[in-house]
Parts: sequence; C-alpha cells; structure tokens
Amino acid sequence: MAVLEKNFLISLAEDAVKSALKLGASEAEAYVYDGQATNIGIELGQISKTHRIIDRGIGIRVTINKAIGFAYTNIIGDPQAIKDAAAQALSAAKASKSDPDWYSLPQNNPYPKTQDTFDQKIVDLSPEDLVKIASTLLDTASEVDKRVFPIEGGVGSGYAANAIANSNGIAAFDRGTITECSLATLAKDTNSTTPVCFEFDASRNHQLDPLRVGKEAAKLAISALKSKPVETQTAKVILTQLALQDLFAYTLMIAIKADSVQRNQSPLKDKIGMQVASENLNIYDDGLYPGGLRTAAFDGEGVPQQKTKIIEKGILQNFIYDNYAAKKDNKESTGNAARAEYLSTPSISTSNFHIIPGNKTPQQLLAEVEEGFIIYYLQGAHSSNPISGEFSVVANPCWKIKNGEITHPCRAIMLAGNIFELLKNITIVGANERQMGSIVAPWILAEGMKIIGK
Amino acid sequence: MKDILQKITATATAKFGANYAEARAQQLAKTMFILKEERVEAAKQGIESGVAIRVLVNGAWGFASVGSLDSSILEEAVSDACRMAKLVSQRLKTPIKLASAPTVEDHVHAKPKKNPHSIAMEDKIKTALVINTASLGFDSRIKSCGLDYMDLMGTNFFVNSEGTSIEQDKLYVWARITASAQAEGTFTFSREEIGSTAGYELFDDQPPEELGQKVAQRAIEQINAKPPKGGKAPVVLGPNVVGVFVHEAFGHLAEADLALSGGLLDSNMGKKIGSDLVTFYDDGTLEGAFGAFKYDDEGVASHKTLLIKDGIVSGLMHNRETAQKFNTQPTGNARAEDFRVEPIIRMRCTYMAPKDQTLEELLEGIKDGYYFKSFRGGQASLDGTFQVGIQEGYEIRNGEIQAPVRNASISGNTLETLHMVDGVGKDFTIDPGRCGKGQTAFICDGGPHIRVSEVIVGGSA
Repeated sequence: MAVLEKNFLISLAEDAVKSALKLGASEAEAYVYDGQATNIGIELGQISKTHRIIDRGIGIRVTINKAIGFAYTNIIGDPQAIKDAAAQALSAAKASKSDPDWYSLPQNNPYPKTQDTFDQKIVDLSPEDLVKIASTLLDTASEVDKRVFPIEGGVGSGYAANAIANSNGIAAFDRGTITECSLATLAKDTNSTTPVCFEFDASRNHQLDPLRVGKEAAKLAISALKSKPVETQTAKVILTQLALQDLFAYTLMIAIKADSVQRNQSPLKDKIGMQVASENLNIYDDGLYPGGLRTAAFDGEGVPQQKTKIIEKGILQNFIYDNYAAKKDNKESTGNAARAEYLSTPSISTSNFHIIPGNKTPQQLLAEVEEGFIIYYLQGAHSSNPISGEFSVVANPCWKIKNGEITHPCRAIMLAGNIFELLKNITIVGANERQMGSIVAPWILAEGMKIIGK
Repeated sequence: MKDILQKITATATAKFGANYAEARAQQLAKTMFILKEERVEAAKQGIESGVAIRVLVNGAWGFASVGSLDSSILEEAVSDACRMAKLVSQRLKTPIKLASAPTVEDHVHAKPKKNPHSIAMEDKIKTALVINTASLGFDSRIKSCGLDYMDLMGTNFFVNSEGTSIEQDKLYVWARITASAQAEGTFTFSREEIGSTAGYELFDDQPPEELGQKVAQRAIEQINAKPPKGGKAPVVLGPNVVGVFVHEAFGHLAEADLALSGGLLDSNMGKKIGSDLVTFYDDGTLEGAFGAFKYDDEGVASHKTLLIKDGIVSGLMHNRETAQKFNTQPTGNARAEDFRVEPIIRMRCTYMAPKDQTLEELLEGIKDGYYFKSFRGGQASLDGTFQVGIQEGYEIRNGEIQAPVRNASISGNTLETLHMVDGVGKDFTIDPGRCGKGQTAFICDGGPHIRVSEVIVGGSA
C-alpha cells in the first residue's frame, strides 16, 4: 500500500482551515482521511473475489455567527477543489441558522499515547498473504463436517490515517491498521437448514487466527441442526458477545450519549449516582483500550480520547460527550465525537464499550443455569425503541441449557423486554472477554427474561 | 468520461488478460442537514467522484475503487484488480460465468418537476423547520423531534467490454422525521421516512405540517399504549407493515445470491409455499418510486419481476452471475451503493398485489388479535425466520380496532406464514425505505392490508 505522508495530510488540513478563514469563517476545522483496504472474499464455498479500495477525502466544518456549515470532497489532489469545498462549507453555514448553544471548536490539548493500534506488517501484507489466510479459513471449516456450507466471508487488511486541524491551533495526525477474517456458515441436513452462524477475528496487529474462526463457524452451524420448539416462559438467559452488542447498540449505548440526555430522550437523565443496573455490572467507555478496534489518540474533532467510567457496581457515573454537548453542560468533552470519515460532521458515539469481566468461566456460567437458554445472535435488534429501551427481537440461533449443559438448539424464539430492566437482572458477568465491533465484553447471565415460543 | 472508461476496460482485456471488464464512474453532489428541535445541527454539502473497476479473470472477480480520474491511478487500479483476480482464480472449483445481456447505449436524463439543486438550502431548511415546529406544537408532551434531510444528484457512467455504454442521471430526495414523547416516566418514539427519485415535488405531495403532526401524534398515542401479550395471534397488517413483511419474510430469500447460499427458495422453485392469495413482485420500473431506476449497475435494464404468483414461487431476483447459474435472464437487480463497492443483488420496489377485501372484512371474525399499522425495522434469516418490529399497533377485539399497543414485533417462518395469509385487501400503498445488506440501498415496499391467521407476536406482557 502506498500511503500518504503525515506532513502532507496535516498541511492539507491546515491549508483548508486557512482558506475557510480567509473566506470569512469565524472558525474552521478540516479533517483529512486516507483509507485503503484489500479484501479477499469467500462466496458460496470458494474464494472467488477480491476487493481493493483507496478512499481519500477532506471534510471542512466552519462557523459563522454560531451557524455551522460543512462540506466535503473526495478530490484532494486539486487545491482548487479544496478551496471550493471551503467555500461550500461557508455557503452552507450562511444558509443555516445560528445556534445560541454553540460554544466553539475544541481547544488544543496534549494527546495520549495509544497502544497496539498500528502494525507495519499489516500495511505490508500482500494479496498472496491474504489468500493464504482465506484458504486456511475455508479449508478448516470444510474439514469439520460435510453438512457445513461456508456461505460467505473473507480476509481483509486495512489502513486508515487522519489529520485534523482547526482555527484553535489543533494540528494532529494519527494512523491505524486493522486486519480481520470472518466466515458465515450454515448447515443443512435432509429436512432442515440452520440459521446463519458466524465467527470472526479482528485485530489491530497482524495476528489473526483463521483456524479458530473456520473451526468455530463450522461447529456452531452443526450444533444448530435439529432445533426444537420452545414453550413461552420466563427464564435465565446467557447472552454471548454478539447478542449483547446488538441489544446494547440500539438502546443503552444511545441512552448514555449526552445528546440523548440533553434532548430528553434518555431514561438515564437525572440518574447519575443512582443504581441503574445490577451491582455486578461495571462499564467503561475506553477510547484508549490497548488494541481496541476504536482506539485512537484523538476523536473526530481532535479531542484526546480517554477512558470514561459509565457504570460502577451498577451505579451510573457519567455520560459521553463531544465538545458541543460538553460545553452545554459546562463540562469537558470525553473524546467521543465520531465521524463517518470525511463524509460527515462529528456526532457522539461510544468508542470501545468495555463491560468489565467477572471471574466465572463459560462452564461455570452455564453451571449456574438449571433451566434456560444461551443466545448467540439476535434478529431485529435495530427495531428496538431507542428511547424507552424496549426490545422485541428474535433469538436465532439459540440453544437450550439444562442442568448446566447445552442440550439442543431451539427454533427461533422471541425475546421481549426493556434494556433497563435487563440491566438490573444481570446476575453474573463472565470472564471470557472478547472484542466484538464496538464492545469489549464477556458473556453475561440475566434472569427473568420473557421468552415467547410455540 | 466514456472514453476514459472504455480505455480502462480495453486495458483490462487487452493488457491484463480479463475475460470481462466493466468501469463505473460516479459524479455526485449531495445536500444534507440535521434538525433537532428547530435547531440546525449542521448544513452540509458534498462532492463525490470516483471510479469502480470490476473484472473477471479466469472466472474470478477482481474489483478496485479509486476516487480519481487520473490515468496513472486508474491504470494501477485496473492492474491491481486483474492481478488479484488471477491470483484467487487458481483455486476455483466453479469459475464464475455471466449470463448474456443485451448491449446497450443510452443516456437517461432525470426530469424533475422541481430540481432539488435549484432550490436554495435556506428554503429546504425552512420547509424542514415547518415539520419540526408542527411536531413540537402538536402536544406539550412531545419532548424532542428530529429531521435528517438528504438530496443527491449526479451522473453514473457505465461501460463494459461488451460494448455497453450508459450515462444515467441519479436523483434522490429523502428525509427521516422523528419525534419522542414523555409522560409519567413513559418514553415513546415515532419515525417516518419519505423519499423519491422524481424530485423535490415530494414535499408538495406530503405537506410539511401534516408530516410533522403525523409523527408527533403517533408518539403521543403510544404513551397510553400497553405492551402486547406474547404468543401466537391472528393479525391484520397495514400496507406499511405488509411491505416490510414481503421484504423480510420473502424478498431476501428471493435474492438469487441468498437462494444459492442455502436459502429456502432454491429447492422450492415452482412449488406452492403460500396461500392462493399471495402474489409478490419486485419492480424497478415504477416511475419516481424510491427504488426505481432504468439500468442497474451491470448495465442491465430494470424489470418488473414476478416472484410468487398465487402462492407458487415463480422467479428470483438476479444479477448476471446468478442468472447464468439458474440458466435464466438477469432481472436488473445488481446495485452498488456507490463507486466504493461492487454491485450485489438488491431489491427495488417489492410489493404484494392487492385483491378484493375491505379493511372491515379483514377485521371481521377476529375475536382477539392485533392490527399492526406501521413498522420499525425488520430482519430476515436464511432459515426463513423473519422479524418485523412494530411502532404502531392496536388490539383487535371482536372485529373492532381497540386500544393501542407498543413495541411489539412479529416473527414466524416464511414457509409456514405465507400459507396463513387468509385475506388480502383491495387498497394499495407503497412506502420508501432503506435496506442494509453490507451496503445501503434505497428501496420501497408495500401492498394492501392483509390478514394472517397466525404469527408470533413478541410482547412482554
């Protein structure tokens, strides 16, 4: 991969800020992105496609009389295109309305050192290297059992660098790498098809484990064969990381955003210092988690990322902020302004949402369940009520637990409830932590879950 | 532009050994803004321009995307795509082939009554503010409201090594409107999406005040709604829910790539999997509809595709690759979100054909059930399990629509549920939406009111 130089990206950002100020902006900020990715794709049981992308661009945010305008372009090789984007950001600001709550763009602050976010080996990976990993992944899965069909998956490597500059003196650069592999499988026998089963591995360093991913994806599909219907009941449920992430992403992780709180959209408003979850639950939003998929030195508006305590022993401690929401509450940003690269203005988002592990192994967690279910994936979590936290979703695949043992897969069951009730009913937090998209979490055990079956 | 793209495809076939090559260029301009409680969060404009190159070398796909028209960058991209495709082709068991498609040369012009780009951003914001104001003013219990607006205009160019060359204008106008209410510790939420490929006249068809009030009213109604009882129940689904039901419970399974992936329909072609009342289409030709277009991103003309007729599986949605595998014609369902990604099989406008019943007739005879009027999200799985979230629903008691219920969802298995459709209305409505399948696609779906004798209702009561 040929990547753009640090100084070049910073100077692009600084020049754009200067252009915007010259055109009459009261404040200006420019965010430059250089992203590259290579992917080897598995489809219908074979490695059959490749994907390579270079995506670069600049997003310019300006204010005039507290009205905010933004423009982006992906043509960064042409200084005139960037000047045009600056002018467009100004015209957008002029068309917009003043926001009396606007304080300012962030000030310059020292940045923390991040750990394990960049690995030159990933940048240097050749397509041949990726094909080798993909072959291992596919071969391993195919060897587990003939009834397994690898539907899709792949292996990818990515590099992303960003530079940010603003009229308050911020001028910073950060870069990171990621490599990932994944496999979606299903198993078929004479008269049944399993739901799609999925395994993956992702890392900021070059240390993928395609053997584990291939084997687990296949084993999961086989164990989902021959599902049985379930009666409607109230039961103990173990949620694995993917299910937990799905459920939290559309409820809890929205409710802790300062923006939701300020707009009266969060049931957690006025609950700081109060018990909102079981005593077993400790959660940090950790923008500096070593090797975290969302770890970076600074956020989308150049504020240092940090570790923020969200819930300690079930007591709500903090919300997460960008600079705008923080100033509205007379606080400092927690470094949680996220961006869709150069294409969007910053908005509040969790970084690595870290559910602190307990000390029970998966076996010990299962042993706590005389009668219950273990859920791997949820269907329809995005249809949850983002404000009340109510959900009504399908657990699929899901397995029955009896006397501490997983006995058999269940036909898709429905799970209905409210996330803020569920938080109070988490009786045990497991020890088996892993990273999964935006969360770092172990399995959890929740009691009193409403299960709707046949 | 055509010359640049033809040069790329020629280089791929002549110099780098591609058996097939296509190049897509995109030049787009977007306008967006977000309102929250009558506050403009940011007004935004953007320009995106880039090229996607896709090649078939010895039966394997190579794809490269760059945000540039620079000839040396394009040459490197086409070389990369061909080299990588060749590399993975070495292990292929089943080389990919393409069904033939007619060679096309065409220029498709957008003809909006109101061109979104000739309307000043100030005026768009003013219209949006009317919506926000209408929501906030509807009831003092409305605590927040939001609006995301986006319009997009530009041109897509498509050239392939078989001689097809298409220049096609793109135009989308879209908005998502939300409101939340709060009273006595109860939080409710309501959303609505509007969208069109016709033009900014969308806002003439749907007066802004009414939109704002409609979203607010739903949030207010929910305050006193109870959670539904979980379990099996007969339901009447409104067109808005029917659309998502068709999309999730059947549409995804009828995408030929998913059918090949082990979905249920591959083995059910020509078989009866639903009641006689079930006829579904996926139609890319409805002018102005959010999911409509003339040519897909493989240069194939968009069709009206019959998926299931009187309960019998009749067709699937294809790209050129799956059409070859099924020995049939491509249907114009290959869509790419933008130049960064390759085209995959996506729905366009998916709907159920109306029959002859009135809503009253459908409700009649239901002693204890639910009327689900408006959806919030939905998801399908290849094993035929579907889920559709409900944002607006009511109890049905003795054939009458009664008290509202909140945060329900419905689920079931497609092969069982389609047999349970025992009443289909004569009304017909289509709504715009967005579908996620790795990429986002603008789609629409809809149909008449229908009755289903049994689905699983997910409720916490």
